[in-house]
Amino acid sequence: MIHKRTLRRWFAIITLASLFLINSVAVYAVTAPKGGKAAGRADIITIDTMKSFGNLQRPAVVFYHEKHSAAVEKKSKDCTVCHLSENDGLSLKYMRQKDEAPEAVMNIYHSNCIACHKETAAAGDKSGPVECGECHKEKIELSSTWKSMGFDHSLHYRHSKAQEEKCDVCHHAYNKTTKKLFYDKGKEGTCRYCHKEKTEENRIAGQFAAHMACIDCHRKTQAQNKTAGPVTCSGCHDPAEQELIEKVDRVPRMKRNQPDVVLLTAVGKAQKNPNLIRMNPVPFDHRAHEKYGNSCRACHHADLNACVSCHSLTGSKESENVKLEQAMHQLGAESSCMGCHSQAQTDTRCAGCHSSVPKNRMQNPNDCGTCHVPGPAGGTAGSGKSDDTVIAAALLKSRTPVADTYAEEDIPEKVVIKSLAYEYEPVELPHRKIIYTLLNNIKDNKLASYFHRENGTICQGCHHNSPTAKKPPSCSSCHGIPFDENNILRPGLKGAYHRQCMECHDAMGIEKPVATDCTGCHRKKV
Amino acid sequence: MSISRRKFLGWLAAAGGGAVLGKSADAASNKHFTGYPGSKGVLYDSVLCIGCRNCETGCNKVNDLPAPDKPFDDLTVMDTHRRTDDKTYTVVNKYQNPNYPKSPLYRKIQCNHCLEPACASACFVRAFTKTPVGAVTYNASVCVGCRYCMIACPFEIPAYEYDSAFSPRIMKCTMCYPRISKGQLPGCVEACPTEALSFGKRDQLLKLARERIRKYPGRYVEHIYGEREMGGTSWLYLSAVPFKEIGMREDLGVTPAPELTAGVLNAVPMVVGIWPVLLTGIYAINKRNQKVADAESEAAVTVALDQAKLEAETKLSEALAKAEKEKAEAIEQEVKKALEEAAKAQEADDSDEGEEGTGETKTEEDA
Repeated sequence: MIHKRTLRRWFAIITLASLFLINSVAVYAVTAPKGGKAAGRADIITIDTMKSFGNLQRPAVVFYHEKHSAAVEKKSKDCTVCHLSENDGLSLKYMRQKDEAPEAVMNIYHSNCIACHKETAAAGDKSGPVECGECHKEKIELSSTWKSMGFDHSLHYRHSKAQEEKCDVCHHAYNKTTKKLFYDKGKEGTCRYCHKEKTEENRIAGQFAAHMACIDCHRKTQAQNKTAGPVTCSGCHDPAEQELIEKVDRVPRMKRNQPDVVLLTAVGKAQKNPNLIRMNPVPFDHRAHEKYGNSCRACHHADLNACVSCHSLTGSKESENVKLEQAMHQLGAESSCMGCHSQAQTDTRCAGCHSSVPKNRMQNPNDCGTCHVPGPAGGTAGSGKSDDTVIAAALLKSRTPVADTYAEEDIPEKVVIKSLAYEYEPVELPHRKIIYTLLNNIKDNKLASYFHRENGTICQGCHHNSPTAKKPPSCSSCHGIPFDENNILRPGLKGAYHRQCMECHDAMGIEKPVATDCTGCHRKKV
Repeated sequence: MSISRRKFLGWLAAAGGGAVLGKSADAASNKHFTGYPGSKGVLYDSVLCIGCRNCETGCNKVNDLPAPDKPFDDLTVMDTHRRTDDKTYTVVNKYQNPNYPKSPLYRKIQCNHCLEPACASACFVRAFTKTPVGAVTYNASVCVGCRYCMIACPFEIPAYEYDSAFSPRIMKCTMCYPRISKGQLPGCVEACPTEALSFGKRDQLLKLARERIRKYPGRYVEHIYGEREMGGTSWLYLSAVPFKEIGMREDLGVTPAPELTAGVLNAVPMVVGIWPVLLTGIYAINKRNQKVADAESEAAVTVALDQAKLEAETKLSEALAKAEKEKAEAIEQEVKKALEEAAKAQEADDSDEGEEGTGETKTEEDA
């Protein structure tokens, strides 16, 4: 017969112990998630096929494709182990060509996967799971390092050279009436123009189109013992592998009958009335711009036609109501002129001045004339009455993209900043050296040079918020005592000096002088 | 003394009723104080901060604080995270920038001069004052050294002079109250070379912060820390990364600290004032009722006892009398019986002895 006292004591001990254990487990379980920095794969496929039939009953299966393709290769087999043939190539689905009943699809996965795993395990090799919860895992341990892949000029050139410029090997178009694919010469474009994110009826998704076209061709070429592109996931989609892709230095211009110069007006397929033109036309050097941007897609985001074929002045259905003005000027849009130009300003050689310029600001209307140049007298541009290409070429020739500034004798070599010299000696600013460094950064870039062709423009980097002049106002003309209630946005003189210099140095990645090294710029007063 | 269930429930109800009464007697606890109009604050912009520690130097100089172990231009001090202590009103800590590992971020720590300070609320001797100009000041002469303020502060700012034996003080940033009252700038703000610290009216600083966020989208996290945290603070922060990456608590909520404790504290007058009186009264009444009841029952018992005694005696005497009577009757019966028998015997004798003439005759007189 156990003593009541003893029983109570044990009860207390067990309660305390279990409380302690529960709490320590709770603490233990709440650890920071594994960074996954070193552990990441590019071949992670989430098998959630059953989603198309309704809500998933179990978590989607995380599948490492390369693990399996490597294992298959080790057994001296090929892709046909899992991918059945379809038309000319292989089906991208697992062990089937299309999804029929949900039960059937599920059984295809279960019976085939588990059978192979069991077989491999029986042979003594490392195999995959056979239990339900081992595949249908709640927590995903590895992070995906998958990076999107596409052609740039160099890669496309290498492919077209390999195919001996037979474009019809890859490029096709679809005839809706005959419901057949055919080669539309002169209208080749990127696959993405038709093959979008999701499959639409019989137009397969871009992912499938790319895999079918690319991997199949690579596989067949490899089978012929010729050098070919990758067939594994990470071969294309791993960021490290993408860096290793060979880049051709001078890519010859693609032959697709593209124009050399274009006169941009508001007249096009979407808007045909020349009387609606209000702004001066913009002469556009198409040939020079072909080099900027990774591929034609940088600007031609929907097709290889002129912007005005979709974008009308007031917006249209094809352009999804994006007006011509936005298409040309929208900041932040990659395909717009100004969007791309403002991206160029983030280069470290430009960012010193340009990072301080507030975003979302209204452009000065007087600056429109930088691009919109008056056409020939009579306003025939865009009307079809004269050759726009000739006009454009003429206007471009008259432009001088040469960065310039004032004469050397007008630029002070050193500027001594005497104000606020309490703890430190006055600063000797190497004024001319700074300006010439900036000029050096600009002069090799046509875009920068064109926009900096006026003398006073480069001074505006520091002498801001004032008109351009040979003798621009000094900092202390506007910056004085800090925290002025009437000008809360304006820093005081000390803050203005330090911020202007330090932020520019920081944006341009200038390591000396270090911002925290006061004596790097001004000696300490003794 | 054992209490009945009914009584117990009754007491509970009385106490609860008292509690309800007491709730209406609270002061401004549920109203939100948005700061004295025109009160000043400081905006700290972590993006503009270069981690030079000039602010620490300035603070040290202006407040006549003792010299630090390592000089202020030694930037390696920031390799460990520090906190304010009894010799340092403010420190700058360095944090890694998750987006740009090569460019660290900085954060200056000092008293945030909350609009409704927890320290002032916790202090029962009113050593802290929220001044109209915005600074939360400390009066060492009334401080008793309980250090409740250190526990109460959600930012863990007040530090205590443990090393001082006879007059230890709480040490914390004063927003340079004497200086700003004269129209000067706080020491740290004046020392900062890049104007990462901006001094001005709190509502103006909020406007400035919002303008900075608007002008440079993507540069700042779109939140001004201190605008509403703990009911609002006078020291506002801007950051390029989520605030917890620069060591600031994001779990504080927007309720001011005094409001969190107001409910309990407002129960105190009710507990101290009403409950003792009410519950004592009920107890006293109960006790009195009990006493009266006891007395009555005792009296009743006495009366009953007397009555019973009386009845008993009456019964006894009656019974005795009856017994006597019966006894007398019985004797009479016996005598009567004996006489009858004697008479009978005499008769028999008479008839028998006709000749004899003498015999013993028993007469009643003889018997």
